[in-house]
Amino acid sequence: MLLKIAWRNIWRSKLRSLVVIGSIAIGVWSLVFLLSFSRGMIMTYIEKAIENQTSHIQIHNPAFINADETNNEIERSPLNFINDLDEVEKVLEADDNVKAYAKRSYAHQVFLGVAGKTGVANVYGINPEKEKEVTNIHNLIIEGDYFEKKKRNQILISRSQAENYNIGLRKKVILSFTDKNGNPTKVSFRVTGIYDTRNQLQDQFNVYVRQSDLNRELGTIDQSHEVAILVDNVDQVKETASGLEALLGTQLVRAYDKISPEIELFNVQIQLSTFIFTFIFMLGLIFGIINTMLMAVLERMRELGMLMAIGMNKGKVFRMITLETLLLGIISAPIGMLIGWVSVGYFKKVGLDLSNFSKGMQKFGLSEIVYPESSTDMYITFGIAVLITALLGSIYPALKAIRLRPVEAIHKI
Amino acid sequence: MSIISIKEVHKTYNEKTVPVHALRGVDLEIQEGEFTAIVGPSGSGKTTLLNIIGGLDRPSKGDVALADTALKSLSDNDLIDFRKNNIGFIFQAYNLIPVLTAKENVEFVMLLQNRPKEEMEARAKELLQSVGLEDKLNQRPNQLSGGQQQRVAVARALAPKPKFVLADEPTANLDSKSTADLLDIMARLNKEEKITFVFSTHDSRVIERARRVVNMVDGKITTDETFDR
Repeated sequence: MLLKIAWRNIWRSKLRSLVVIGSIAIGVWSLVFLLSFSRGMIMTYIEKAIENQTSHIQIHNPAFINADETNNEIERSPLNFINDLDEVEKVLEADDNVKAYAKRSYAHQVFLGVAGKTGVANVYGINPEKEKEVTNIHNLIIEGDYFEKKKRNQILISRSQAENYNIGLRKKVILSFTDKNGNPTKVSFRVTGIYDTRNQLQDQFNVYVRQSDLNRELGTIDQSHEVAILVDNVDQVKETASGLEALLGTQLVRAYDKISPEIELFNVQIQLSTFIFTFIFMLGLIFGIINTMLMAVLERMRELGMLMAIGMNKGKVFRMITLETLLLGIISAPIGMLIGWVSVGYFKKVGLDLSNFSKGMQKFGLSEIVYPESSTDMYITFGIAVLITALLGSIYPALKAIRLRPVEAIHKI
Repeated sequence: MSIISIKEVHKTYNEKTVPVHALRGVDLEIQEGEFTAIVGPSGSGKTTLLNIIGGLDRPSKGDVALADTALKSLSDNDLIDFRKNNIGFIFQAYNLIPVLTAKENVEFVMLLQNRPKEEMEARAKELLQSVGLEDKLNQRPNQLSGGQQQRVAVARALAPKPKFVLADEPTANLDSKSTADLLDIMARLNKEEKITFVFSTHDSRVIERARRVVNMVDGKITTDETFDR
């Protein structure tokens, strides 16, 4: 009966209740959408980073990566190739989760010179065919081709490098290396293709050459600095990385979130922004609820006085007011979640075009089309947040109700 | 047997600022089965006395015992329980729960007593029948006339099987016909079921039907007459 009374009480002032329900629903919806949007933006960044460069897992010689005490990569040491590459390949071939892998050589902070201009580049020596199975660079060629000609010393540069150095296809690029014996050497490469990952942070520095060409200049033949691995499913990354780490004890095995520390940062940012937005939402909501329920209590003073006069104890009065507030939350939160789910679902399909802002976003490697991404956890968090807020918001009005003196309240007009 | 016993009761409002003496040493004994009207002009203290008899307010001085229970000894929560099980209330403005039907309003107080559902339903129907509202069981208060609402209030007051029923100006908002019907019902319940009724009123139509009339002026009982009706 208490539930029945609470439910019917909500609808005594339909307009007021609908306004509260509407505002809670809109609040939940905006929270769902806002956080799904930022989550989608970051997920797209992570996916692109995996797809275009990082891959899911990488293996290095532990001495190749110089990291600080917080494990952030400071620099790379090109003299340290992967030890026992054959053993690594054997393990990868045997692992069912590994979809593909590609070996890479690497030259860090190489001087790049073009027609009087110089700059710095990170040179990746790749096996074009194997690299195709792991990353997506071959699909991002906007001019020229992806190592289709069998000629020596071809190079892929990015669109931003082409613009900075004012060079185009078939032009010469001079790379200044230090070989494995520490001797400086200058080598000329010819631009065979121009790529664009739309991530300026990455495109600013990365150039790609054939691994055989780079190795020759580094003074080696079949050694690699890096093995990039793609697994069947992103959910298997952690498990696969742990398995490989156990089998390849002398190698450094890292999943994508450890390779790119900004990914970890973004994950923390998602959690933090979820917490902050939810807190702000709860704070706004709680005042709305207190206001509404206080009005409901003040309007019903005589009735509440009568209920206490005929024998309804304070606990039951408190519960009734709390129940009314909770019901408002129980009605409105799912409505907001549903609208949120539908709108996130829609934009997940068609994408949210932010091309007007894309220049600024590209600088940070963010895509111009964002596909919002929600999660079950998000909905559970918001559902619980609304209920907790409703519960907290009901306390003051409920206390106000039980503090009424029936003898005074029953004579209120 | 005395069901209400009031001895030397005083009630003073605003004791620390401007004291208003609403009751000045009231003594009153009401026996089981009485049909009593407490009458007097506005400000005479009759509503205050009724509030004290109903355990809604505590006296500043004096003793109140209801059904052999001294109210002084009860905490606020015990007093709520005591009211729930021993006193039926009828208010001037009906004070029904607007979101419940007539039947649910009558059942509600029994629900507070944790009575079984079947018993609540049967008693609610029986009581509403006895006040002539058997065809209005599922109507909400706003679908009933003032007289009908007050009859639901009578049924609700009787639902918990109280020791006595207190009615504060029960006919103040009713027309003559509704007043006559209501008084007929209460008089019948008093006679046939020996239910004790105590009214505060200044309605002559009620006073004419009461078998005992207690007159108050300035917080004191001035006359106390019994009639054979």
